[in-house]
Amino acid sequence: MSTTIDMPESNVGKAKAVVVGPQRPGGWKKGVAIMDFILRLGAIAAALGAAATMGMSDQTLPFFTQFFQFEASYDSFTAFQFFVITMAIVAGYLVLSLPFSIVAIIRPHAAGPRLFLIILDTVFLTLATASGASAAAIVYLAHNGNQDSNWLAICNQFGDFCAQTSGAVVSAFVAVVVLVLLIIISALALGKR
Amino acid sequence: MGLLSSIYDSCKEKRTYFGTKMKGSAIDEAGEISKGPAPRKGLKRGLSIMDFILRIFAAICTLGSALGMVTTRETLPFATQFVKFRAVFDDLPTFVFFVTSNSIVCGYLVLSLVPSFFHIVRSTSVKSRVFLLSLDTVMYGLLTTGAAAATAIVYVAHYGNPNANWFPFCRQYNNFCERISGSLVGSFIAVVLFIIIILMSAIIISKR
Repeated sequence: MSTTIDMPESNVGKAKAVVVGPQRPGGWKKGVAIMDFILRLGAIAAALGAAATMGMSDQTLPFFTQFFQFEASYDSFTAFQFFVITMAIVAGYLVLSLPFSIVAIIRPHAAGPRLFLIILDTVFLTLATASGASAAAIVYLAHNGNQDSNWLAICNQFGDFCAQTSGAVVSAFVAVVVLVLLIIISALALGKR
Repeated sequence: MGLLSSIYDSCKEKRTYFGTKMKGSAIDEAGEISKGPAPRKGLKRGLSIMDFILRIFAAICTLGSALGMVTTRETLPFATQFVKFRAVFDDLPTFVFFVTSNSIVCGYLVLSLVPSFFHIVRSTSVKSRVFLLSLDTVMYGLLTTGAAAATAIVYVAHYGNPNANWFPFCRQYNNFCERISGSLVGSFIAVVLFIIIILMSAIIISKR
């Protein structure tokens, strides 16, 4: 209970002192906040890579007939369109959340930025997981087909397209795992006072 | 970084002003320290009770989804000697994954009712709350993955994909299609409830 008195007093006089000499040692929390920042950078790379790889996946087979097209691009699949848009949104959010992460490094004992980050991280975890999983279902179908519903495995013909989309899905799941870690780290930092 | 810290500090100063005013008057009156422990404890207890209730709802929703998907079976009234015209959820591995993930999450939710009840009784247990939140986040990822993957397959079943020559089998297997589409709803309701549970846990942890 006494800590709630200390907080207002310590920050009024110390508006200029940024890092050195806080009232209470914030070493553990500062380390956690730095790890949070670095993980966020990794998640940005993963999400951007996923969106870009899927967006640039396009393959045209070198032969064609009068009636069939032999071109596959992410446009043809609704799940992949959803994937590209959603991973771009998640990457944009992660970039915009970097300032809040920096504030959490500078002020290790503040609960506001961390709580805000944990709430938004959960929402965007939903988006990333949903898009990654739906794209994964379609990629699985493309690899294996389904005999009972007579859906052919298109990966046998479109090898490059398949490889690119599979890589994009893997990258998206890396971003999902990193987001889960970010939430757990923020909860740990929030709980320790 | 200097700009960010000065912005944050100016926000804090406004709160500090009110905090010191209240601190002065509160110490005069009752010798109590800050906001008063009673309203905060009441908020925590209320949130913990709602957490418990939402867990029960989410367990029912995921159980309903799993059962709805497992009991699908439709046989078309005509059949030839070589081709089967029967649809079961087993035929699509994604639906097997959906049933599995919903069952696991349902079992987890039932088991987590015990720590949740413990948190209602004891409002000051932070470590176990953080642990429960971590488990919640992992299970939430599993649930969302299953639901989204099944949704993608149901979408293809409804609309097909002319580019990949995937025929929408909903036109023939009407009952099967309706059942698999309906069982997705319970799973997504559980997803929303999980988000609320995680957010409430985070708020409770941050209130000291």
